[in-house]
Amino acid sequence: MFFQTMFTGVIALNCGEKMILGDKMKFADFVCFEATIPELQATDRDGVISELVSAIDKAGRLGKDSRQEVINSVIKREKEASTGMGKSVAVPHVKHPAVKDVVAAVGRSNVGVDFSSLDKQPVYSVILLISPPDNPDRHLEAMESIFRHLQQDKFRKFLRQSETAEKIEDLLREADENPSL
Amino acid sequence: MQAEENMLEKTVCETTVEIKNADGLHMRPAMLFVDVATRFDCDITVSRDENSVDGKSIMQMSMLAATYGTRLKIKTDGSDAAQAIEALKELVEVKMFDEPPPSEKKKQ
Amino acid sequence: MEIKKGIAVSPGIVIAKCLIIDSEDYRIPRRLIKPSQRMVEIQRLRNAFKEAIVELTELKAGQNATEQRNIKDIFAVHLRFLRDRSLRKKITDFVHGESVTAEYAVSATLREIASNFARAHDIYIKERAADIYDIERRLLRQLLGSRREDVAHLTEEVVVVARSLGPTQTATLNKNFVKGIAIDAGGRTSHTAIVARSLGIPAVMALEDFTESVSGGDTVIIDGNRGIAVVDPDSETIRQYEEYSLGFAELEHKLVAIRKKPAVTRDDVKITLLGNIEFPDEAELVLQKGGEGVGLYRTEFLYLGNPDEPTEEDHYEAYAETVSFFKHRSVVIRTMDLGADKYTQSQRFAPEPNPFLGLRSIRFCLQNLMLFKTQLRAILRASVLGEVKVMFPLITNLQELMQAKMILRDVMEDLDEESIPYNRNIEIGIMIETPSAALTAFSLTQGVDFFSIGTNDLTQYTLAVDRGNELVSTLYSSSDPAVLRLIRTVIQDAHKAQIDLSICGEMASEPEHIMLLLGMGVRTLSLAPPMIPEIKQIIRSVTIEQCNRIARKILGMNSERQISSYLRDAARKVLPEAF
Repeated sequence: MFFQTMFTGVIALNCGEKMILGDKMKFADFVCFEATIPELQATDRDGVISELVSAIDKAGRLGKDSRQEVINSVIKREKEASTGMGKSVAVPHVKHPAVKDVVAAVGRSNVGVDFSSLDKQPVYSVILLISPPDNPDRHLEAMESIFRHLQQDKFRKFLRQSETAEKIEDLLREADENPSL
Repeated sequence: MQAEENMLEKTVCETTVEIKNADGLHMRPAMLFVDVATRFDCDITVSRDENSVDGKSIMQMSMLAATYGTRLKIKTDGSDAAQAIEALKELVEVKMFDEPPPSEKKKQ
Repeated sequence: MEIKKGIAVSPGIVIAKCLIIDSEDYRIPRRLIKPSQRMVEIQRLRNAFKEAIVELTELKAGQNATEQRNIKDIFAVHLRFLRDRSLRKKITDFVHGESVTAEYAVSATLREIASNFARAHDIYIKERAADIYDIERRLLRQLLGSRREDVAHLTEEVVVVARSLGPTQTATLNKNFVKGIAIDAGGRTSHTAIVARSLGIPAVMALEDFTESVSGGDTVIIDGNRGIAVVDPDSETIRQYEEYSLGFAELEHKLVAIRKKPAVTRDDVKITLLGNIEFPDEAELVLQKGGEGVGLYRTEFLYLGNPDEPTEEDHYEAYAETVSFFKHRSVVIRTMDLGADKYTQSQRFAPEPNPFLGLRSIRFCLQNLMLFKTQLRAILRASVLGEVKVMFPLITNLQELMQAKMILRDVMEDLDEESIPYNRNIEIGIMIETPSAALTAFSLTQGVDFFSIGTNDLTQYTLAVDRGNELVSTLYSSSDPAVLRLIRTVIQDAHKAQIDLSICGEMASEPEHIMLLLGMGVRTLSLAPPMIPEIKQIIRSVTIEQCNRIARKILGMNSERQISSYLRDAARKVLPEAF
């Protein structure tokens, strides 16, 4: 716990610090914990996307003046093909030059958001991912990591139950260390 | 006839030897034994307890599985029986197959 | 002569000399000889010893440096053994006394000696057992000569006999020389069986101890129709089989004539017949046999037989070749379905305890997106060359499907970025091969353009039977009522959602199941090309009405045995020559 508290302190200052241990990408390598929204204000899909992109922008991870453009891109893509994976999770993402490296933000909704998921259920957890277009492999690594954890019932459940940004970060870090969470 | 019989009687020798090298009668010593044994014309039989084997056969000698301290009976039968038995006794107990006895081995 | 019964996995008759493929030791059967042959065998022994001594002397001479003194010593020991007169006498006496072959005498004698050594307390002597086995191998090599080579270097027509054949070995089977296959292990749907059927090589599997009943060079008869293997047949048996084989060839001729005829039932309902292929050069066989396209293009061979992962170009070349060949006819490419085997296990630090139920196939791909992406890119690039569809195997739930589709989409975006053309509207399908997918098929229909039912795995997972395990392979049956009910559920869900459905498992090539499948609503079958003519013949001989009746009757039955004998009878009436 002490170790984790220390890290949290460091990361709050330096969002997106990479600590790569082992050859699979970890949440801590690309999730911007500063941009976590434990209680999304928006209740519709486009609103949620907007909120999360703005949070990433506020954390200083987007290129100057690109916020609206990125929001539009994510929404456009989402319209073409829903990223609602079912089981109350969605992973909207886009490749955009506004970022230099893969970055993601986690959002939680208490009321549920319609993401047109195949299972017709509302979404309560959203992980929004933005990747630089010139590094498709990094994007895939991040996706792989997201898939790996979201597959696990326990992880999804805990994520849904984590009500603060701190708890969400703890959960993600713990999942990094203990993949069979 | 009498002369031959006398000769035969004279040329049967027997002795008992004790394995003195630490690792016993493993492959290399067995080979040395057979090498020496095959130099001679006489028949050579090596016995351990109830088992008797042909001293000129590497197959049979290695089956003896003799270890340090094992006592083997060597019997030679033929014209050069005496020389054979002397050579073999020397190999086993004096030269010890050119291998160290247990005390020296422990030092190593 | 010995007659052994196994499982018929690929039809046809062959009479040829056998070649035994061994993975590790040489297992020598006791082959009795006539007393008059004893001298021949003893001479063979003498030659073998002589040659082995020459071989060893040369090897020993080649070891000169002092570091290799140990090896030199070992050779010296072995030479001593080979020169040991009492050893030679023991083996020779064995041949004389028991009237056995030189190989058997060598093997039996040396193994007895080796086990005596192994029992000794002394470690030096214990270790000598390995030397004895080595000497045994050296002598056997002399005695058996070239008859124990591996599959890739054949120079004459043979029947391949083995305990089991790995995927690499089956991938390198040369159809020109391998005329038959007899395997101890496995069953109808093991990989070897699938390849044998695809290549049209008669094969019998699950013989259990066939390798112990033959010696290299023995004449054997492989009856791939009835699942029989005969060792050292007498002349009467050979005559009978030659006759039978002629009759079978006549049926084959009849079936060739059917190639150009359409696959329609007597009441004019069209059934689409597609081929299951593994290698690009099977494409021609599909068309030759009257198939209309490829319903299942297995891509695993790209990963096997090669220590390195295939590159995107490796994939692309194979797909491009196949797709261009078929032009406007559809080719369904299935993404990597490996699992429970060497490939995925060697990637792991700690092997999975139950790989069959573990991280395999699409799951493995979703956890190794680089590998998955490489294959998807190649498939997409090939999609401009013809009518390509992509199929994901082992999908068990909606999330997996969504993830796979998401990655496909990501890959498409990458190609867009690089201005590489592909078919944006490529059809996406999944294999339904688990009970969970079958039971939730309707929800899965929402995200795909087609289903293909993988009856092999569906049967395995439903009945909890390993198709490769010869001890239980008879429990495996696609006539099991549980399996049939699941298949029916999937067909109904596909109809409701109005998506295409095909059967791509072995069931599609089993004459006794065709009427049932048609009666359950199947209109597309994908099967091993050699069986296409026969299946077409059945289709042309029935009416859908007939099939519906049969299906209704079967779905009311509860016993596998009842079902399979009913189906066999019904099929026999339609195509008696096939039975």
